[in-house]
Amino acid sequence: MPKNKPQNIEKNIILIGNPNTGKSTLFNALTGLNQKVGNFPGITVDKKTGVFTIHQTKINIIDLPGTYSLSPNSEDEKVAKVYIEESAEDDIIIVVADVTNLKRNLLLYTQVVDKGKHVILVLNMMDLLEKNNQEIDINQLSKLLNCPIIPINAKLGKGIEELKNAIHSFEIKSAKFLEQTFSSNAIDETMLRLKKISEIVNQCIVKKGEDKSYLQTKKIDNILTHKFYGYLIFIGILFLIFQAVFSWSAYPMELIEKSFLFMGNFLANLLPIGMLNDLIVDGILAGLGGIFIFIPQIAILFTFITILEDTGYMSRVSFLMDRILRVVGLNGKSIIPLLSSTACAVPAIMSARTISNYKERLITIMISPLISCSARIPVYTLLIALIVPENSYYGIFNIQGLLVMGLYLLGFTAAMIAALIMKLIIKSKQHSTFTLEMPIYRLPRLKNVSLDVLNKVKIFLFNAGKIIIAISIILWVLSSYAPGDSFEKITTKYTTENIKENYSEKEIETLIAKEKLEVSYAGIIGKTIEPIIKPIGFDWKIGISLVTSFAAREVFVGTMATLYSVGDKDSTKSIREKMTLAKDPTTGEKLYSKATTFSLLIFYVFAMQCMATLAVVYRETNSIKWPIIQVIYMGLLAYLSSLLVYNIFS
Amino acid sequence: MNLAQLKENESGIIIKINDDNLAIQLLAMGFILGETIKVERIAPLNDPILITSGSNYIGIRKSDAKQIEIDKL
Repeated sequence: MPKNKPQNIEKNIILIGNPNTGKSTLFNALTGLNQKVGNFPGITVDKKTGVFTIHQTKINIIDLPGTYSLSPNSEDEKVAKVYIEESAEDDIIIVVADVTNLKRNLLLYTQVVDKGKHVILVLNMMDLLEKNNQEIDINQLSKLLNCPIIPINAKLGKGIEELKNAIHSFEIKSAKFLEQTFSSNAIDETMLRLKKISEIVNQCIVKKGEDKSYLQTKKIDNILTHKFYGYLIFIGILFLIFQAVFSWSAYPMELIEKSFLFMGNFLANLLPIGMLNDLIVDGILAGLGGIFIFIPQIAILFTFITILEDTGYMSRVSFLMDRILRVVGLNGKSIIPLLSSTACAVPAIMSARTISNYKERLITIMISPLISCSARIPVYTLLIALIVPENSYYGIFNIQGLLVMGLYLLGFTAAMIAALIMKLIIKSKQHSTFTLEMPIYRLPRLKNVSLDVLNKVKIFLFNAGKIIIAISIILWVLSSYAPGDSFEKITTKYTTENIKENYSEKEIETLIAKEKLEVSYAGIIGKTIEPIIKPIGFDWKIGISLVTSFAAREVFVGTMATLYSVGDKDSTKSIREKMTLAKDPTTGEKLYSKATTFSLLIFYVFAMQCMATLAVVYRETNSIKWPIIQVIYMGLLAYLSSLLVYNIFS
Repeated sequence: MNLAQLKENESGIIIKINDDNLAIQLLAMGFILGETIKVERIAPLNDPILITSGSNYIGIRKSDAKQIEIDKL
């Protein structure tokens, strides 16, 4: 260890390596919880950064997306290439290589070195080398490559301290792999590199017997990619995931709901009565509660998805589904966004980045919001309860459950049809490929999975949270203010003696609130759009809810609760009961008839009512065009389908 | 002959990859000219296929496999 080093200096290191080399495991081992996920400026590939200290030196570390070479094939890989090229002179690049597949992994190393970068080569999965009956002479390899090499086992944390020390005492020296780099023919250059790598590796690795690393994996693949069992197992896993998402999340969701109610009551009593109180309690806090309640479902779903990815199974699912998804213009890799969409379209759309073909990626992004996400569940639950009594059965099936399933299927079918139509419309000359590595099967690594889920939930909260807060404030303004002196008139009307005799103070308060809402800007908006939504069976109150739930679908339930709680003497009735009793003021018939309710359900299956999703589509496509098209096509689909349904049932 | 013509468990030597982008991608994934390539499995709907070369194991579409010229072993 070098002496007399100045204290508190900082060093920057960059992690790069092939996919499936345990790069993330190493990153997690180095940084622990001192990490965060951000965005590279201008593009949306996740940027994982972290910090650790060694001998008073602060080390900043950045984890680049996995890539096989510096010749990029997808958005992810492009980032890695550009980041390496533009890295600072004294940045240390750590190339992580899977020692069991050294020849392939060293290609990236040689490309990085020949960019004039300073490299420490890390050999991961040293434990597997023994199992594969191989031995490596690290000193020899280090000498031939003229590069410091640290063998590690990231999973068990072996070699991490040695790596930290090597980073601390790293001395810059220049190394070149190829004497001169080609500029014209990339294939010849790559072949030359591979030939030289092969010569070096053959001098350093001794094979003592047969390499058996893939035998077990191939045996498992015989079952998991089997033409019959393969699909059966996948459907079984899907079923298990949905079961888990809906049943396991019930208790924590209730807990979150209760804590927000408690906080709301607490703050409502603490703050002085007035506008600020309303804004914070009814606006911001209620809005945030509406997002936080989805954390359990999203966390459970992402835990499953991350485990499926971490074990290597997701690659097989992509393999099985590629041919089917290609029919509608998608890619085998679209399966991850499609699955994630059942929780929330925001992270789903971001996960479409690994699809290298632009058209396939775009279609995946455009149809993801049609798949019923967890924000629709409270809307479905409330509306279905209006038309189907709780314990009604068709044979052994619960009818409410069947309806929810039907709505999910409807959304999925619409997504597939929309994809097919876009496949025919969108022109692209880019060649579509599907080249996906099948990693060897391994047990999920708890630390990787938990940190990944934590990061995804955080991204969801930030993305959705900031929009919900903004919209909550706007809505609060719209429903708390009215043009001219309409509010004053209402207040004056209710101060007459006549009314004070017939109603209690509390009743007057709610009557005032009800009338105020009707004349407020929000009420005006609702009444303005009423003629448009009348043909599909909606009144102005639903109109307001449609406008408010543009922030997020689940806001519908909250708005309806507000609309029906004001002006109702009986506070013991639930929102569902109030809606069931609601009557059309002109005809006197039930307002939430089968026709209106079905129409509303269908509308929520199809309509693009999520600002957070639109924002992320804008970011991912880098164009205002696609989110606008999305709003229009989903809106038209929703309106026309609702019109059809309303007319069939009425 | 090209890779798409092989049946499950048949092997060949990679002679040439006709598409340059595909060639660079495959080289980096460990599928190197002059080395043995094997079709491990053909997907239920006849496409894509799983192929190996050494300890490299990937899935690839038939349309891309057609670009890979081989000598059957």
